[in-house]
Amino acid sequence: MKTNIQIRMENLWFYYHDRVILEDIHAEIEKNAITAISGPSGQGKSTFLMILNRLWENIDGAKVKGKVEIDFGKGFEDVYHESYPVHQLRRRVGMVFQTPNPLPMSIYKNIAFPLTLMGEKNQATLSHRVETALKKAFLWDEVKDRLLENAETLSGGQQQRLCIARALVPEPDILLLDEPTSSLDEASIRVIEALLLELKKSCTIILVSHYMDQIGRIADHRLVLSERKLRPAPDKARDIQNRIEK
Amino acid sequence: MDFQDRFFRSLFLGASALSALVTVAVLCFMVLLCLPVLKLDFIRHVLTAPWSPGQGQFGILPMMAGTICIAFLSLVISFPISLGCSFFIEILKPKGKGNLLKKLVQFMTAIPTVIYGFVGVFLLVPFIREIFAYGSGMCILSASLMLGLLISPTLILFFSQSFSRVPQSYLNAVDALGGTTWQKLYHVILPHAWKGMLTGIVLAFGRAMGDTLIALMISGNAVVMPSSLLDSARTLTAHIALIFAADFDSMEFKILFISGIVLYMMTSLGILFTRGLDRKGPA
Repeated sequence: MKTNIQIRMENLWFYYHDRVILEDIHAEIEKNAITAISGPSGQGKSTFLMILNRLWENIDGAKVKGKVEIDFGKGFEDVYHESYPVHQLRRRVGMVFQTPNPLPMSIYKNIAFPLTLMGEKNQATLSHRVETALKKAFLWDEVKDRLLENAETLSGGQQQRLCIARALVPEPDILLLDEPTSSLDEASIRVIEALLLELKKSCTIILVSHYMDQIGRIADHRLVLSERKLRPAPDKARDIQNRIEK
Repeated sequence: MDFQDRFFRSLFLGASALSALVTVAVLCFMVLLCLPVLKLDFIRHVLTAPWSPGQGQFGILPMMAGTICIAFLSLVISFPISLGCSFFIEILKPKGKGNLLKKLVQFMTAIPTVIYGFVGVFLLVPFIREIFAYGSGMCILSASLMLGLLISPTLILFFSQSFSRVPQSYLNAVDALGGTTWQKLYHVILPHAWKGMLTGIVLAFGRAMGDTLIALMISGNAVVMPSSLLDSARTLTAHIALIFAADFDSMEFKILFISGIVLYMMTSLGILFTRGLDRKGPA
């Protein structure tokens, strides 16, 4: 069991000003699996994701205490250590937001953007990787003839798949998704669910969702966040307990 | 539409029409006042000859050059500093310090221009004189530095406002992809904010061109074509103020209205030029 854990959180507390948002979280997240987090709104599910890529550091008055360790293939590393470069962490831990957030530029440039940030200038490499990412996100066929159009002209579902494709370009080990389907129609939701099932072969996926049916369809593990605590979902509790004991 | 709606609509329409009209009326007023000397030959004379009323030469070209030099240079000095300040205030946001700086900058707008002039005369001018060991220190460089300081609050406040209007979702996207702060500025913030920044630049440039006191107190007021940053120069505004204070109804006095029109035109051209940039650029 222990060999398959990729993320370990111990004794983790999150504060906003002097208010406790997350209290003494202990969690272990399995590699190449979909872990779903559900729970009432406004209880810190998004915050939980932002702890993993340290995006909360942009929030004024937020504070984290505790330990987060991630195994990127070289053993567990403390990603909150002073010397740990946050930009590198965010390339390895991709994130997709609740509302699709394409940048105000062409579809092509959006997908190539992470590579631009890394200083990649070779056009052949760029276009190859843009194509690969769009194919992975099941979006290539729909946009291959309009790559130079502004990404904001795409439909909501397409925009969200664009954002997933963009998050995949740096080849992250972990993908965080914050209610990625909450603003989409049924057909788009199915496409994205199929996509996530495919992606977990190469990626560890943590998904915040409040659709129980969605969680039932695709999640390997379920966690519930409520009243500042993260607990295994009731019906799967014993299942996980068994795993830990093994 | 009920009465109240109609009332307010016409009230606001009237207010905006009035302020637009004032702009036009000022131009008409000046043209009217210089009608007596408004002949083509004479305009050519005014725009090309040197200023030497004793010899019957009333050219304002040196003042035009002085105005453009000082206004442009002050913008060049102020732009990078203001960009850095507003970036510090809006994007880096070091705990509490950003807001404090913004408050200070807002306070700067309330300082009377003449105070800047004092500081310039007693601190900056001697400093420049000693550093360069040349002339009186009352020169284009001193005036531009002081004027740069004077217009920086306009730039900083406009830049900050444009930066803060960049949607958080764009910033999150760059952050989540591991972009550095500088990449965020270069790839997302500047492309999104530059239109608002341009408005700030236009206003600041207008302010720099229109400011009278700084130039009057610090630039030395010599009526010569400027040839180096350490030369004294006179701006159109200072020229108008100087003649106006000492003269009435002479030829020099009548020339002032032409100076006014030229100043008006130069500012308008500046604005139209930046508007043109705005339209050509990508959305």
